[in-house]
Amino acid sequence: MSETMADAGADTQPLIKVENLRKLFPVSKSIFREAHDFVHAVDGIDFEIAPGESLGLVGESGCGKSTTGRMLTKLTDATSGQILLADEGELIDIASIQRSHMRRFRRRVQMIFQDPFESLNPRRTVYDTVAESLTVQRIGSVQQREERVAELLHRVGLTPPEQFLFRYPHELSGGQRQRVAIARALVIDPTFVVADEPTSMLDVSIRISIMDLMLKLAEEFNVSYLYITHDLAVARYMCDRIAVMYLGKIVEIAPTEELLSNPQHPYTRALLSAVPVPDPAHKRERIDIKGGISKALNPPPVCRFIERCPRATDHCRTSDHPEFTDLGDGHFVACYNL
Amino acid sequence: MAQTLHIESRGGRVGTPLLEVQNLVMHYGTKEGEVSAVDNVSFTLNNGEAIGLVGESGCGKTSVALTLLRLLPDNSVIKGGDIKLDGESLIDLDEEQMRRRRWRDISMVFQGAMNSWNPVYRIGDQIREALRLHWPETLTYQEETDRIGALFELVGLNPVTMERYPHEFSGGMRQRAVIAMALSCNPKVIIADEPTTALDVIVQDQILRELKKIQQELGMSIIYISHDIAVIAEVTERMGVMYAGKLVELGSTLEVFHRPRHPYSYLLLSSTPSITGPRRKLAPLEGEPPNLLNPPTGCRFHPRCPFAIDKCSSEEPGLVEVGEGHSVACWNWQEVPEIGGLQK
Amino acid sequence: MADILTPPTERLDGFDPSAVLEEPLWRIRLRLSWRSFRKNWALFSDNKMGIVGILIIALFGIMALAHPVLMATVWQDHLEGGKNVYDIRAGADSIIVTKTIVEEVTDPVTQISQIEAMFLGTGVSIPEIGDTIEAPLANPAPPVLSGVDHPHILGTDPFGGDVFSQLLFGARAAFLLGAIAALSSVALATLVGTIAAYFGGVIDTLLMRLADLVILIPLLPLLIVVSGFWNVELTMLGILIGVLGGLGGTAIILKSQALSVKVKPFIDAARIAGGGHWRIITRHIIPNVLPLSFLYMMFAVTGAIFTEAALSFLGLLNIQQSWGIMINIAHTQGYTLEGLDVWWLMLPAGLSITLFSAGFFLVGRAMDEVVNPRLRKR
Repeated sequence: MSETMADAGADTQPLIKVENLRKLFPVSKSIFREAHDFVHAVDGIDFEIAPGESLGLVGESGCGKSTTGRMLTKLTDATSGQILLADEGELIDIASIQRSHMRRFRRRVQMIFQDPFESLNPRRTVYDTVAESLTVQRIGSVQQREERVAELLHRVGLTPPEQFLFRYPHELSGGQRQRVAIARALVIDPTFVVADEPTSMLDVSIRISIMDLMLKLAEEFNVSYLYITHDLAVARYMCDRIAVMYLGKIVEIAPTEELLSNPQHPYTRALLSAVPVPDPAHKRERIDIKGGISKALNPPPVCRFIERCPRATDHCRTSDHPEFTDLGDGHFVACYNL
Repeated sequence: MAQTLHIESRGGRVGTPLLEVQNLVMHYGTKEGEVSAVDNVSFTLNNGEAIGLVGESGCGKTSVALTLLRLLPDNSVIKGGDIKLDGESLIDLDEEQMRRRRWRDISMVFQGAMNSWNPVYRIGDQIREALRLHWPETLTYQEETDRIGALFELVGLNPVTMERYPHEFSGGMRQRAVIAMALSCNPKVIIADEPTTALDVIVQDQILRELKKIQQELGMSIIYISHDIAVIAEVTERMGVMYAGKLVELGSTLEVFHRPRHPYSYLLLSSTPSITGPRRKLAPLEGEPPNLLNPPTGCRFHPRCPFAIDKCSSEEPGLVEVGEGHSVACWNWQEVPEIGGLQK
Repeated sequence: MADILTPPTERLDGFDPSAVLEEPLWRIRLRLSWRSFRKNWALFSDNKMGIVGILIIALFGIMALAHPVLMATVWQDHLEGGKNVYDIRAGADSIIVTKTIVEEVTDPVTQISQIEAMFLGTGVSIPEIGDTIEAPLANPAPPVLSGVDHPHILGTDPFGGDVFSQLLFGARAAFLLGAIAALSSVALATLVGTIAAYFGGVIDTLLMRLADLVILIPLLPLLIVVSGFWNVELTMLGILIGVLGGLGGTAIILKSQALSVKVKPFIDAARIAGGGHWRIITRHIIPNVLPLSFLYMMFAVTGAIFTEAALSFLGLLNIQQSWGIMINIAHTQGYTLEGLDVWWLMLPAGLSITLFSAGFFLVGRAMDEVVNPRLRKR
């Protein structure tokens, strides 16, 4: 079914369309008191993901990238805004989804987690873990589920599957666990997978094989990824486009190579200049920004980056957080001083 | 008086050997058997030099550091080899003599050290404690305060902040304070084990630059330990690559990065994504690191090595010189291509 | 959704998923449980403490099983005055006769000492010599290890009941009480703790305030009051101890464990798979809390036995026979102060209470090391 949708026009109809998505976490709330202070974890973001495309969401810790991923998988409810998911020609709004549509949504959207040691239930076998969504949603007979799980294990490279089906997580290495997690996400044939730093806990030598596997499977299963990472080099390897987040806002979004070669937002530039390069001969141009990340607690309505920005002007201090400027070729940047 | 303000490396003339590690062997005794965590590791750290040890988790790089400081857990045994600091062997020192040298001669920035501050004491007082324990003479309170202030300035912290508690510091500031503490007694050597691993890129970059500046200005000798070859590329002059408890390649950082001779170094470099250079398919490193309870015979890398020959599974290669100051432990190093050579 | 179950075979490069599993799933699961049991047993049996505990519990298990078997076989025909001498009730309602209070007892069938009479009497006044008093026919008889006509190997109680028989029967009562109390307490604690942790918010607040309340109520005085209103029997006592223990401290401990499980990413993963609250609680949280629950079950047994002993000693329970009752009878019949002279009245029962509790406690401690790997020695 996803094939037909991709044919229907990858350029015209996005798979995921996020509009003005916000998540505010109340601070010091109790049943007796209304909260007055909010952490603006995600503060009005917009983006689209085409069928089969991978979007990288890059930013430092606390920028709201993981919260975005959790809203897209409905682990966290959005405070406001829309998340539209294209499914069989219809657009479902994830943010305000009906209970009756929940099952259908869970078949379309899956997630791969960061820590393979914590994302598998230690008391359940590989089979139980991978078959979970089939079992819960009562898809197929026991025999069919077994076969589907075996097929998935084969496809994620846990071969021969019979050797892995009934192992417990503690009997697997980190890389093998992450393969199980990938199999679990894909077993139900989703169209969209949120991958939250799936390789950051793995050893360097395992990392590439997992990333390659994810790229291969993206093609085979025709899934789109929202790839959340703090590592721009990894995002470059995995993603077609990259969105850079800072304090709950997307400050720049562009096709991968365009973003790396032609960064426009001062934060993107600083971030890029700070990434260590595995080449001792490489001399990079440093762009210093002041201080550390500001707090997302009740931020003023001006540009979120203003305190650290080397090119902030009076205009920035008196205006709202800038809207996206379209630089062409899908390159958008939220800054007044380009 | 002024001497207490002076932050320096107490090592010798720049370029002369300071720390010599010779054929170090260290095992951990476990229920299942002996784990050979460090096997026959030799390297030299010169005065004023920054060297790096790189490898995956469990390759023995942290064990090397702990062995140098003799901060090993009870179930470990140093089986052989020698560690010489300024020509004096550290291996035969008893615990008390070693304790006196530990912070004063060799200090360490531990992995995750920024989370090891005691939350109920002020940062400055915790450094003061280190000074009282390890500074050769007794200092007055004012002298201590002055020195801590000087240390704070050196690592890019405002001296006023020494009165603050750890929770009032950001992660980056705490890590800077850890570095200040490591420098507090003018050590000869600093061992920095994953000094920036838990930090965000921008902060990591600031701290690495700070460390590099300090190292160059003071002529400090630093051993960096990291799993991240990009970090090693940034800050070191020479580097060693470790795999499964063994040092498999040793050479200048430039050499190793541009012309790695060991298949493992080669694959490690080829499998590291970068934001620079052409976007290329990376060569995956197949398989998983071996279990050190029962390491493979011959070369420990041979089961994963695409260049392995028959000899590799039976005979263990020693380090051989392949260029100036560049040695590699591989039987088939001539076959290792230039970076990118394996790509389709 | 059948389409996802019939994959395009060309992607599988000749791999046939239907050929992977030949064995039925239940048999594999059975084998897995057996394997994990053996592994945990290996860890458990590493600890000598646990083995000692198991041996103690096994000993009492044999005792509990032995009672009905002995009654039906060896002890069957020991009749005396129409009653089986080994019947735990035979002594309790044994013949009451009128005895004369004398200074020096020469005939225990018709005479009684002043001190004994004082304990038998209801008032505080010292009975006069020469008065008569209703008293049981027999005095406690000391243990006799041989002899057919007086075959009480641990002697008799003041009513002539066989102490050994009572001791065996008491083990049965202890197991019954312990099991009821432990199961109800831990079942309740697991459920309450998990639900409070999982749902949080108002449910959590309510359940936890309830737990605070239960902790504040002193168990023993409450049970004393309850026994004044109702006829508290063994099963009811077990359930009462279970409910009060389960709603209190254990629930809070198991809640904190459930909380640490709830925040694990595998719970998020289960939600993404589409699992409802009930499935997540029963399949994902409870299995990870259960080892700790088992642990607290062991400690709950210990608590229940102590509580029962205390209440029985005070004579507040309507229980046929238990170790506590044995001590209670010795006490109410005035033998508390005679100490070692009548050791068989209290020592066997007291030791049994202590050992039985210690057995479960030791098993609990050894299980603790299986459940919390941090406690294990390298």
